[in-house]
Amino acid sequence: MKTALMITIIVFSTSASDVLIARGARQVKRLSVFKVSEIALIARRILSNGSLLSGVLMAAASFFAFLIVLSWADLSLVLPATSLSYVIATLGSKIILRERINRLRWTGTFLVCAGVALISLP
Amino acid sequence: MKTVTVLVLSVLFQTAGNLLVSRGMKQLAATSPWETTPWLSFSLQMAASPSVCLGTLLLITFFILYAALLSWADLSFVLPASSFGYVLNVALAHYLLLEPVSVSRWFGTMLISIGVVLVSMTGTQSGEPVKEETVSQNEVSG
Repeated sequence: MKTALMITIIVFSTSASDVLIARGARQVKRLSVFKVSEIALIARRILSNGSLLSGVLMAAASFFAFLIVLSWADLSLVLPATSLSYVIATLGSKIILRERINRLRWTGTFLVCAGVALISLP
Repeated sequence: MKTVTVLVLSVLFQTAGNLLVSRGMKQLAATSPWETTPWLSFSLQMAASPSVCLGTLLLITFFILYAALLSWADLSFVLPASSFGYVLNVALAHYLLLEPVSVSRWFGTMLISIGVVLVSMTGTQSGEPVKEETVSQNEVSG
């Protein structure tokens, strides 16, 4: 139960960080660091971008939750279970971003769910 | 060729990193379990554990390699191609960390890998899934 709760936290913070970083990266744009003079400008843009910062924060939270759950749970359970973030991402893109999900993607999502159900059997 | 080399390297770094942090956290929990240890003391012990630190370093290296890889290769190729990492992680957790892995867990891990391949074959952008599919197939064969 405790493990399931931690995995839920990992899965949701990973999905949130993916969405936030993707959104932030599109806002910052031009991340080609070639000129020294541009580095400061890009660094300022990154640091002033709320999506990017909260995305990184969520990624850090997800990593700490991963470390903590590994202090008692098996890696061979925790790591495959974190793939549930694909399911959350698919549902999120369907519901929030209103993307059309084709049959192949639903099949893949279903296989991930079935796989997670199998690995969580005792 | 560069893509495949970096891909294999990044998966190896990720697997090694996961195994190390897993071992480190188990060792830490053996002396001070998470529930009974004060938060600050637990964090300090995490930062002082060589396995956890080295594992984290490897995972950061993985993250940088993976980000570099995505700067030139398609996510619709990288994601399915790296999904064998799940099987590798479970296999090494079984053989090196001596975790008991049941038949249903092996089977479940393989289903997840196949599921990830299917999810990413449909592309990550909305629209034109057919076109993206042919691109990823070309990359695999090429």
